[in-house]
Parts: sequence; structure tokens; C-alpha cells
Amino acid sequence: MSETGETSLLAAPDIRHKIERIAAQIVEAHPDRPLALVGIHTRGAVLCRRVYDILRARGRDTAFGTLDIALYRDDLDNLGTIPSIRGSDLPFPVEGAHIILFDDVLFTGRTIRAALDELVDYGRPARIELAVLVDRGHRELPIAPDYLGQSMSTARHDHVRVCFTETDGREGVFLTRSAPQP
Amino acid sequence: MSTPRLFHGGLAVDADHAAPRRLDVLVGADGKIERAAPEIKPAAGVEAVDCTGKILLPGLFDMHVHLREPGREDEETIGSGGRAAARGGFTGIVAMPNTDPPIDSGGLVRYVRTLAREQSPVPVWTSGCITKGRAGQQLADIADMQQQGAVMITDDGDPVADAYLFRRALEYARHFDLLVACHCEVPELSRGGAMNEGARSYRLGLPGIPACSEEISIARDLQLARLAGGRIHIQHVSTARGLDIIRRAKADGVRVTCEVSPHHLLLSEDDITDYDTNFKMNPPLRTVEDNAALLEGLLDGSIDVLATDHAPHTEFEKNLDFASAPFGITGLETALPSLFSRLVRTGKLPWDILVRAFSREPRRILGLEVADFREGLPADFILFDPEASTHFSADTMESKSRNTPFLGQTLPGAVVQVVLGAELLLGRKQP
Amino acid sequence: MSTTAPPARRKDLLDIESLTREEIVFLLDTARPFKDLFDRSVKKVPALRGKTVLNLFFEPSTRTRASFEIAAKRLSADVTNLAITQSSVTKGESILDTVDTMQSMKVDYMVVRHAAAGVPAFIARHTPAAVINAGDGNHAHPTQALLDAFTMREAVGELDGRRILLVGDLLHSRVFRSVSTVARKLDMDVGIFAPTTLIPSGRPDYMQAFSTFDEALEWSPDFVYLLRLQRERQAAHFFPSLREYHHVFGLTRERFLECRRRGIRIMHPGPVNRGVELVDEVLTYEHCLINRQVENGIAARMAVLYWLQPAVTPLPDEKEEFAS
Repeated sequence: MSETGETSLLAAPDIRHKIERIAAQIVEAHPDRPLALVGIHTRGAVLCRRVYDILRARGRDTAFGTLDIALYRDDLDNLGTIPSIRGSDLPFPVEGAHIILFDDVLFTGRTIRAALDELVDYGRPARIELAVLVDRGHRELPIAPDYLGQSMSTARHDHVRVCFTETDGREGVFLTRSAPQP
Repeated sequence: MSTPRLFHGGLAVDADHAAPRRLDVLVGADGKIERAAPEIKPAAGVEAVDCTGKILLPGLFDMHVHLREPGREDEETIGSGGRAAARGGFTGIVAMPNTDPPIDSGGLVRYVRTLAREQSPVPVWTSGCITKGRAGQQLADIADMQQQGAVMITDDGDPVADAYLFRRALEYARHFDLLVACHCEVPELSRGGAMNEGARSYRLGLPGIPACSEEISIARDLQLARLAGGRIHIQHVSTARGLDIIRRAKADGVRVTCEVSPHHLLLSEDDITDYDTNFKMNPPLRTVEDNAALLEGLLDGSIDVLATDHAPHTEFEKNLDFASAPFGITGLETALPSLFSRLVRTGKLPWDILVRAFSREPRRILGLEVADFREGLPADFILFDPEASTHFSADTMESKSRNTPFLGQTLPGAVVQVVLGAELLLGRKQP
Repeated sequence: MSTTAPPARRKDLLDIESLTREEIVFLLDTARPFKDLFDRSVKKVPALRGKTVLNLFFEPSTRTRASFEIAAKRLSADVTNLAITQSSVTKGESILDTVDTMQSMKVDYMVVRHAAAGVPAFIARHTPAAVINAGDGNHAHPTQALLDAFTMREAVGELDGRRILLVGDLLHSRVFRSVSTVARKLDMDVGIFAPTTLIPSGRPDYMQAFSTFDEALEWSPDFVYLLRLQRERQAAHFFPSLREYHHVFGLTRERFLECRRRGIRIMHPGPVNRGVELVDEVLTYEHCLINRQVENGIAARMAVLYWLQPAVTPLPDEKEEFAS
């Protein structure tokens, strides 16, 4: 694989700005309704946590949960190592809940599909919306975000990486171009 | 009509010389050795066989072979066993009597000898059972069997558990100076066991056969032999302590000889890693300490004879879980290459001792003509190529059965020809 | 919780001996979230959807088989049970014939229990399916060891330096072999207490043997693990009577009180012989982990099914041996 180096797509200040905007849009869309914010491990959960903290700081309390979609993936057969399972943590009744699902990057849509399947195994939510930091296109399923940080045009074989301080020690969204695999 | 042959350019080994020495052998048209000397010039009318780089050994002799005929011809026949013997470099073998029906009468001894003459390329002698039906209850017709040609008696596969009966068997056999060979174990101690009892059997979760089962039985048999007089032969010794007991009895004047198999010199319980039933036999593979003690015994003469205990089983029978599979591995074809590759080539076992134990002594113990490079004797030797190799697979082995731990392996050394009288037993091309 | 990279997947789980400490810890860590699923109303996850698990039990067993069945179903796999009595399958060709038949049904996982050691290994060599040893003769019972390790860790946290005392018929017990091995791999100290007739020779040196139960309890084990005694052993001269066995080697009321005083946890792989290995009171003791073991069995077996990976099914004319 030939790497031609990282390009920064979003720097730390941009990220903060986008996250604040997502939080604002959520408040605007749901001024009164009780919400449950659920982040998909690993970085979706970080993103979710930040939005949750912003909302709380503004006096808006919501439920918070995390989702580990490892057991709902559709590609387990091909993996040489199985991902560690952290487990999901949904400490609120899913039945009838109004959930906003968070992930860092929206790409093919399969991760979100797995998350939806898992959520409904916990109960029947009233509604599920989707918030993502980056939408890089190349969808393989009919899934669209309700709250979006930034939309980007990428090649299918590019590698888009979101880095958060909590998980990666730095802030930024990076693009690594690579040659198409034969 | 055959021609005289001159086997020239080779190195010969025999029981009296530690190192191989240059020897040319001229075999007459009648199959007898006309001359044996370091250098013989080829003459007209004599077929010259170039033995450069080859080693000439007196024909090997295996006094412990299971031929399975009558009864289990699917495992082996006298014919296929004889061919396997030739392929392994053996010019004489002794068949065990635990066939179906067991060889417990003169008539059956004769049957085996007749079949052998017709079908085996090498001479086959037979042993007879000690007890009728090998049931351990009553003496078989020992004298009758000897008259028909049995060279020893044994209930091999089992001991004669009844000590009183065994005593009488020893005394009776003594009358006819017939060798009594013993499979030594205490059935109650070994019962249900699948391999040597020890750390390995613990790890594999398999029931064990304790070493003392063999040791106790050897001690018993030798005490009875001392009481009864006569000649006794302890088969397939596998334990160091068992060997010590034999040594002490020898020092004490008991007329005992004993044998060890190549696998008990080369393999141990540590080699059983994956429940491979090609490592299951009775007595089982023991410890590496036993391997070392048995080799030492072979070198110092406490062990008289090498014998393979060739025990063919079909793939179907052996293809079972370890505890249920039958005991036994083949050995005729793998014996010489395996001993050569692991012991002779590495200097641990000199050629002269190998020839003593695997050719001269077994014949001498049974009162048979010893194979040697002496003028006037019928030609009885093999050509061994230390630079060639032998691959053991279903396609390349003569035995009907494939149950050997060396299956799939290629070992250094190959038997390239067997000279028996005027015959060359192996095809011209190398195996 | 392990933070290192997850271990590569294996095809088969045949024993504990061949697992590394990292693999064992990974399986224990993975069992935890599976156990959490039990509180959901929908206890299933689709991880093994479309896969077929075959229970091939040559030895009867209701508990272990049911545990595997539930575990497989909670992973959304399809489960088939083949209960073969000993009498109808005693020859190797029947085992292989059965395995070959299963091949054509495209089975992905085989859970095998057999009275003879080595049979699961034998089957594993002849099938691309992932083979799980559910107990083979006296050799191994790896999933039992994993659920026991999970239970112990759940009870006291990290197991390094903790002590486990194994009591009873060690000789005939594959549970003993696997549990002592997993304990050792997790750096526990292993003590044993049993009549000498029931202590296997050839056992590893690290096991400390005690001559009386009191002496063993003085050693302050964290766990006393009782092994089942089969009544048939009496006939085979391993001990004179059940009464004497219970009196000397069983968890009598006095010894149980001592355990309770010390806060020692009691374990047993089941089924329990009341009045032989232990007295009834033990079963209602707050630190009796026996029911917990059963519960954790499902989670541990789910972790194993999740981790193992069957080999690619070969084309019919390309049959090969499958190494795990």
C-alpha cells in the first residue's frame, strides 16, 4: 500500500465548531423532548459524550449510552482476528425512547445498519436519528444523517481518520490517499 | 540357469569387524560363495555387479514378525510379509503364532511352512503357541510342532498368566531343547492401558501401562526359568529396569536371551503428541531414559537380538481414537533405514553390533545357519546404499499395512539388493 | 480488561493446554458482555446467524449439551443435536462416516463429547468445521475450565496468586486436568486433596498435595473445587465405601463451617452427589458458586463460538487435512 502522507481535513478548532453546531441543531429540533444520546464505539461514543456535555452545560439533560456493534457486524466470517467486545451500555429504557445515534465517520452505512439492528433488540424506540461528524460518501445502504458536521468528497479507497484527544492523543480529521488495491 | 556373479567394489560389514572393509564376493552359478577377498578380478562369463559405495551386510534376520496368515490376510499375508522382509533386507524371519486360528499344532506349523515356501521370497520359519488356542489353559502339542519345524514357542500377544502352567511349559520345552519366548506383562496391571503410564499419559488423558507390569513379569519368568532349566527368550524388552533384571539373571547363569525393537531404541512417549495411533504398540513407547539404557544394553551385549515385532494393521483398524485402536506398528521395511539414520550414521551403533544383533545372534539362538561371507556358504547378503534414501508411503512399501510412525518420511539409506543363493530378490532399479 | 491486540482466531478448541494466557484472558473478557446480554429481553445477537452448530455427543449429557445449545441459539446459529449412544458407535469408521455425513450438510461448528480421549482431535483433523471439545475421556474439558475461570474471576477479581484446592476423584476427571491447567496459566496456586488411589501419577510438579482436609483448609484456598465421585469407582477398589469417602474426603458439615468461617468459595462442575462430595447445606451457602458456574457456562461457550473460525469448506474433489 503506497501512502502519500496525511492531509488535514479538519483541525481542532473546526472540529469544536462542528460539534457545537450539531448540538445546537439538536436543541433546535427538539426543544423539549427527552432524548437519549447513544454513541457507537469507539469514536462515536467520544463524539456523543462531547455533545452530551455541551447540552448539559446548557441545562439540557439527556440520557447517555454506548453501543458496541461487534456482534452485529455482517463481515465476521472474513476476519482473522475477532474484535474485542466491550459490550453495550444502555442505562435507560429503549422502549419508546427518542434516540440520537452518533458516529464519527459515515461511509458505507453498514456500521449504522448494525447499530440499528442492535438497538431494536433492546426494545422498540419511538424514533432514531443519526448524527455524524464526517460524511465521506460511498453509501452501500439507504442511510442518511440527520445532523452532519462536514460532508467530504473522497475516493473509495482513501482512508479517512478522525482523531480525538481522548482516544488518539490529538485532534483532527485526516485523509490518507492510497493507490487502489488490485 | 543362473550365472556366476561378482559383487565388486563394495564395503562389507560383519559381526567380527567394527569398521566396514573392502570385500569382493564371487557367487557361483549354484548360489554358493566361491570366493570372498578384498580384490577379485572379474572374469569372463561372470556377471559383474558394481557395488561401489554400497555396504554388504549378511542377510538380516527378524525373529519376531506377525504375518497374520491364516485369518487376517487383509492386514498381511505370508507372501506380502515375505516381500516386505526382502525389501527391508531380511533373508529370514520367524512368524508369530497368534494368527486366527493360532498356530498350536503340527498341522498348522506345516501349513505356514508350506505357504511360505510357495509364496515368500525369503525363508519363513514359524513359532508355535505355548498353550492350546493361546488361551493360557493347557499346553499345546509342543513336540509335534517342533517336529513339523517350529523353531520356538511363544504365546506372544499375551504372557502365560498361570505361573504353574508356565513352569511346566518351560520344563517340557526343555526336554526338547526348544526355545521358550516370552511376552512379559502382568495383564491385571496393564489392563485398559493405551500407552506408558507417566507424565505423557497424564497430559493426553490416556490410561497408562506401568513399566512395572513388564518388570514384574520378566522377574517371574526368569525365576521360573532358573527353576525349570531350559532356554528362555524375553521378547520386546522396553524398560531399563526390565533389562537390569535380565542382566542379573544372565550373570546368575540363567540361560536367557532377549530382544529389543528398533522403535524402543528410537522413539519414546514424548513422540506421542497428537493421538497418532501409529505410535501405539505393546509394550508401549517408554521414556528417553529407557531408550538410552536399552541402547547401552545392545552395545554391551546384554541385549542379544534386534527384532522388529512387525505388527501390521489395516488403516481402517488403526483409524480410531488412541485408546480403542489396536496395538502394533510395522517394522520390516523401516528397521534398517531408521536404525541407520538415527544410530549407525551418528556413530551411536557400530555396524558390527547391528549385524551381530540383527543377523548372527537370532540365527544362532534358533540353531540356524549363520549368514556370512565365507567360501562354501550359500550367498546370503544384502547391498545397502548409505547415500540413497528410502521413502515410506503407500506406493513404495511392500507390506499390505501402512501403520508405521515413519509413514510419509524419507529416511537416509536404502536396501538396494538382496542376494539369496543364486537369486537377486529386488528389482534391478532402486526402490 | 486486556488492552493488547486480540489474539488470532483458531479453528478448534480441543484443550486448555494449547491456549496461551492471552487467549484465555481474551475469552474471559469476551464472555463478560455476552453475560450482560442475558438481562436484555432479546437475548440473541446475530453474530452467528446462518451458521450451523452440531452437537455430537457420544456420551450422554443433558447439562453441557443444553448449555451449548442455548449459547449457539443466542448467537442466532441453527443447532442440531446428534445424540449417539456408545453401543451404536464403537468403531472408528462410524465416527468418520458421521463426520462425512455432516460435511455434506455444511456444518460450521461441531461440539464433540466422547468417552475416549483424542476423539475431538481426530474429528478436527477430518473436517473444516470448527471443533469444540465438550469433554473427551479423561483428557480435557476446556469450556468447563473457561467458565470456571470466569466464575472465579467474577467472584474475586484478578486471579494471580489466588489459591484453588481441587478435591476428589482427580484420576478420572478431565475437569480436574483442564481446571488445574487454566488455573496455572492464570498464575494461581494449585492444591490437591484426594485418596492416593485417585491421584494421577505423572501429574505436574506444581500441584501441592495435602494429607488431610484440615491441612488443606489451613492453606487458605480461595476456592475449594469439589469433583464428582462416581459410585462405580468403589467396585474398582479406589476406596472402600462411600461413607468412608465422605467422612475423610468429603465436605462434611464441620469442614463446610470452616470454609464459611474463612469465606472460602465452593465450586463443583455438577451434577452433585449430595452426602458424598458435600452436605446439602453447602448448596444454600452464599459463596457457593455452583449455580453461577452453570449460568456462566452459556456466556463462556458463546465467547468460544464467537472466537473460533471454521476453515473454508473445500470443493468436493479437494479433501485435505485441516490443521487448527
